[in-house]
Amino acid sequence: MRGTTQIKAPAPFPRQARRWAHDNLFGGVANTLLTVVTSLFLVFALYQILRFVFVTAEWEVIEANRRLFFLGRFPVGEEWRIWPPILLVSALAGLTVGLRTRLDLRSTIMMVLWLAVGLTPVFLFFAHGTVGILTAAAVGLAALGYIGARIWLQDSRYVALIGQLVLASWLLTFPLALVLLVGFGGADTSLGIDGVDPSRWGGFHLNILLAVVAIVASFPLGVLLALGRTSSFPVFRVASTIYIELIRGVPLITILLMAWLVLPDFLPSFSVPVLAPSGLDDIELVYRVMVALTLFSAAYVAEIVRGGLQAVPRGQIEAAQALGMSTARILALIVLPQALRAVIPALVGQFISLFKDTSLVFIVGLTEMLRAGRAVAQGQIEFSGREMEVLLFVGLVFWIVAFSMSRLSQQLERNLGVGER
Amino acid sequence: MANTSQTPASQADATRVARSNDIIICEGVKKWFGDFQALHGITTSVREGEVVVVFGPSGSGKSTFIRTLNRLEEHDEGTIIIDGVELNNDLRNLEKVRSEVGMVFQQFNLFPHLTVRRNITLALSHVRHFRKAEANETAERLLERVGIPEQIDKYPAQLSGGQQQRVAIARALAMQPKIMLFDEPTSALDPEMIKEVLDVITQLAQSGMTMIVITHEMGFAREVADRFLFFDEGLIVEEGTPQHFFENPQEERTKLFLSQIL
Repeated sequence: MRGTTQIKAPAPFPRQARRWAHDNLFGGVANTLLTVVTSLFLVFALYQILRFVFVTAEWEVIEANRRLFFLGRFPVGEEWRIWPPILLVSALAGLTVGLRTRLDLRSTIMMVLWLAVGLTPVFLFFAHGTVGILTAAAVGLAALGYIGARIWLQDSRYVALIGQLVLASWLLTFPLALVLLVGFGGADTSLGIDGVDPSRWGGFHLNILLAVVAIVASFPLGVLLALGRTSSFPVFRVASTIYIELIRGVPLITILLMAWLVLPDFLPSFSVPVLAPSGLDDIELVYRVMVALTLFSAAYVAEIVRGGLQAVPRGQIEAAQALGMSTARILALIVLPQALRAVIPALVGQFISLFKDTSLVFIVGLTEMLRAGRAVAQGQIEFSGREMEVLLFVGLVFWIVAFSMSRLSQQLERNLGVGER
Repeated sequence: MANTSQTPASQADATRVARSNDIIICEGVKKWFGDFQALHGITTSVREGEVVVVFGPSGSGKSTFIRTLNRLEEHDEGTIIIDGVELNNDLRNLEKVRSEVGMVFQQFNLFPHLTVRRNITLALSHVRHFRKAEANETAERLLERVGIPEQIDKYPAQLSGGQQQRVAIARALAMQPKIMLFDEPTSALDPEMIKEVLDVITQLAQSGMTMIVITHEMGFAREVADRFLFFDEGLIVEEGTPQHFFENPQEERTKLFLSQIL
């Protein structure tokens, strides 16, 4: 508190900077010493990193093995199955963002910058020939969807209908991706399309696949468990509580190993078309891992959602009851929308960590991206000793996706935040 | 001070109320929360079109009492009959009663994730099965009635407390209830907003709605009420006309409480 009533004009920038530096970095002997030591360390670390990235590192290992990183042992000539969902997702993502948000100039610039930073290395190193054209097409579709939605659709009379179409397309994307991979109708019939053997799925494609399946499946399961745990029926409450506490008490690796080694002994031998043609006890490992990740994640989702449920004031339920609404309607229209909105950050956090945890499936012998990278560095003589490059690259790819998820969640929160108390 | 003499209009009103039937009947209603007995046997009835004001110290059971009337609290003993339907564990009875009894809460309890329009139309679409256009029309008409038609597409958080409470009243009225319950509707409001809400409630009372109002706004209570109920320790200690309470209260506890709030 100053005694003066006049507002001081802000000091010119150099003087401001000097004062800030004096206040925060060089106030006293200990402070100055700390600043100097930290600076030296930072400069040294930065120098080491930059020297490695631009001088020491030999990045050919990444370029030469890019197929292995992204597809693992996926059969050559079957890549066409992967592109339609990617192109569709790009277009839908552009459309959705364009329809749902009214970005200001600052966030638009941030998004373009972020896309540029994220995509430059892709084009520089990995996207040659057909892959390059298809990647460019994906980016183009996203931009087209966004710009188209902003210019023509956002103010159109049919905006609600278009929104529903986009949502329906989102819901159809996943079955489409799966059908293209697994095939349908049996290869021997005239209409049928043969699939790719799930044991050949791999690389970053497998990480994405596992993460999407586990997120999409564990979310509703987790919500159900949370409702069960807060239910007034003891049967549901006790069952949900036991499930949640059991799963949360066991390391993910244990659950994965059980899905690999133990589960087949507990399953009956009758067969299920497409998923387990040779019997449930011989079901593909990839599917077992998907189930394991889903069951694991659901327990954590349940606890997060339970927190949200408890944050909805009792008065909300009473007001809805007083209007004569049924319990199911109160849940669907009043309680869950508020509860889920409140826990978006925590849920996205859980899903990001689930996405990163998909790299653990290398434990059961699946060739996801990290495992593929290790195989390159250890198995190819011409690239022996290039583990650093491989790890940095794998880390970067995971980070780009995880960071995008986090940004997306912040945007989502901002858009849903309207009318929040 | 308000005029205590009866105008011809309110006399006609009183006659009409006197002739009408009992729409709420309570017989020895008791309620426990664990070991604590909140209601010690409430016996009273409310006629169609009657406006009853309930007051009394906090913890006297007045709020618990009106919450038993739409079964937000289940009573443990006694009988409650609302418009000929007894309140018990039968779910069909419950739905019927709740759609005929509107309630306005102290804390408004508007749905924060929905616009004012959706707040009002939600139950209309999902309970009354109104078409969208019909529901929207009802919302517009009722917001007009409570004096804030221009706020229809805002979210509750964008409104003042008084405006929120008026939306809550419109939301309850949308269901076309036969009875309205008000649980301290102005206690959470800043002083300058109390009048706008009381005006709406007064208007509603004059339109012939059956109402039970918990309030300590005694000037307003005297103006709208046909009858006062004074609650203390889970019992109706004294009841009578507003004149009776203001001029000649009988019980010591009533006198003490009135001297504290007037």
